[in-house]
Amino acid sequence: MSKQYLTLHTLDNAHPSDIYSIASTKTQLLSASGSSSILIHSTTESDFSLVQTLAGAHKLGIHHLVTSKEGNRAASAGFEGALKIWSVGEDGMWKEDGEISDGKKPGDAWAIALSANGEYLASSSISGCTNVWSLNVAEGMPKIKDYETKGSFGLAVALSPDGGYTASGHENGSVYIFNNDTGRLSHSVAGLVQPIRTVAFSPGSKLLAAAGDARVIALYDVKSGEQVANLTGHGGWILSLDWSDTGEYLLSGSHDSKAKVWRVETRTCVATHSHGDKPVWSAKWLPRVGARSEMFALAGGNNNISFYREAAG
Amino acid sequence: MLAVRTNVPFRDWVIARIEEMLERIVDGLLEESDQLTVTLKSRSNATRRTNPSQDLERPPSPKSKDITFPGGTVQEAWRFTVVVRVLELVHGCLVDNTVMTKRDMYYRHPDLFVKQSVVDRYVDDLACTLGVSRASLNVTAAAKGLVAGNFRIQKSDGALGILVPSISDDDILDLSCVCRVVIIEKEATFRTILQSPHWKIRSSRCILVTAKGYPDIATRHFLRYITDRSPQIPFFALVDFDPDGIAIMSTYKYGSFRLAHENVTAGGAPALNLPELNWLGVQSRQIVRSLVTKHDSYDSAITDAQGLMRLTPRDRKKARCMLEWDLCAEDGPEPAWRQSLQTMLMLNVKAEMQFFEQLPGGLSAWVEEELSVKEREK
Repeated sequence: MSKQYLTLHTLDNAHPSDIYSIASTKTQLLSASGSSSILIHSTTESDFSLVQTLAGAHKLGIHHLVTSKEGNRAASAGFEGALKIWSVGEDGMWKEDGEISDGKKPGDAWAIALSANGEYLASSSISGCTNVWSLNVAEGMPKIKDYETKGSFGLAVALSPDGGYTASGHENGSVYIFNNDTGRLSHSVAGLVQPIRTVAFSPGSKLLAAAGDARVIALYDVKSGEQVANLTGHGGWILSLDWSDTGEYLLSGSHDSKAKVWRVETRTCVATHSHGDKPVWSAKWLPRVGARSEMFALAGGNNNISFYREAAG
Repeated sequence: MLAVRTNVPFRDWVIARIEEMLERIVDGLLEESDQLTVTLKSRSNATRRTNPSQDLERPPSPKSKDITFPGGTVQEAWRFTVVVRVLELVHGCLVDNTVMTKRDMYYRHPDLFVKQSVVDRYVDDLACTLGVSRASLNVTAAAKGLVAGNFRIQKSDGALGILVPSISDDDILDLSCVCRVVIIEKEATFRTILQSPHWKIRSSRCILVTAKGYPDIATRHFLRYITDRSPQIPFFALVDFDPDGIAIMSTYKYGSFRLAHENVTAGGAPALNLPELNWLGVQSRQIVRSLVTKHDSYDSAITDAQGLMRLTPRDRKKARCMLEWDLCAEDGPEPAWRQSLQTMLMLNVKAEMQFFEQLPGGLSAWVEEELSVKEREK
């Protein structure tokens, strides 16, 4: 059984260069690219109009951008090595809360993830450590966890929606699952020996999806650490994974410009879309709002952001 | 430009040894020592004079000598200054992985060095002291670039590439048959292309040049001479997809900051730059396209694709530093360089031009195709 998604709208040349990361809230899409600014587009207006520009956020460009599930917080990571934290006001305008000051190794942080409530930030690093910070501004946003691994570049990181786990994916193919309550490593899974470029927890925090250069999406049971499925079909390195709100579907974006929608229950690909002829750096579901159809957004090397809507019926 | 893998730690070793020598001098200054000393070994006084106890097959043992400051004479003070300056210049070449000719080095401080042979001697003494070749100090003698193609020069000609000739204003260079100049980072690729069937067709209209990495002044001077006299001839650069590749291309196009004084003529115009230089490759879109053609096998991945590698910590640091260049600024003149450095960092991947040897027809066919695409774009 396949599903059909229609191109609803495309923001042509939304950014002047590759868009490396997009992140959504219930009403907005935030996007970041090789330029220094973060753009915020409305997802409740039919033309997805630009509603705010965070100019000059990171001078050398931005490689990662995340929002909390509750949509109150965002975090960005720049090529110059800084991690910035942002908050949204009731008027829908974002402002900077401050920067993470990691005195030991500035510039070591790479991928980032926010907890559902926006109170914690996790970061993978070039040296392989995975760190977690409290984002309590009054307390100076201190680091609260420091998970050591074997030194392979941490290309990806995720926090489980229930707050219980942190997961990281590494260049040597390792995937680690850490228990945030005990502060210890729960599982080290090494099914693939090629870079893991993206990891994502399911909405119920029961499954972890991991993917990268092997072009296979591996699904792991978070509690047992066992691999429960392999999703195959991508022709290029997989750069991005995102679960739909219900956990029924998984969205993946790859280096060969394709994005796929997978039905988790049947382990099948139900839709494939081509996003120009450049890498899809980031693929994200938009949160379900009211009676709106399931929607996702794609962004990548063609500088466009495209929105897709599930066809009715 | 990718150093041969085994050489990277070696260059670091040489850098560390020179830094030890410089640190000893700095420590001496801080401790207010009575005397600062640099110890060099030298073969420069070795002769072929027969010595009955000497094994004739072995080169003579180097002699150790101390160069001190303050010394007994003005001459010794001068010698000490020369040695420290040579150490600094060589250290700079190694850290930046640029190559300097001895002539370049002499012209940095002609008043101090007095004559070329002084530089020659102390560079060789340093190489001897460290037990390495002069090339390992990133110092060469005169031009190192190679050139081939259908041009006529009243001085000489050659087959598998000749050394870049020095051109003076009185020389005559016949470029009437030349339609393009292709600058290639690597000598191995230069030779591969010369020996390919495509070159037999292309050679009548093309000049191929390599400076074997970062360009020396003689090669840049030769190229600038061509573009000054025949501005309609397009120039293309083929460099590796890595931070050094882009830095090499920037040296051809904009010059080297370290040797910035060489760029300025009496009129203030940059005398050696190639502002119209086109980037033939390697670019990320070319890699993407080629990776997709390897779609059939799930076993292939980054470590299996020949010429595709992970960035080293040095690469990452260099890429980030280059993003800070004005050239790579958000509104700067080279957005494609900025995008490429960012993409390298995103994927933690770099690629040698040898990556395209895997395609049908190999690298030479790929170069041919890319040149055709570029020319159709005009």
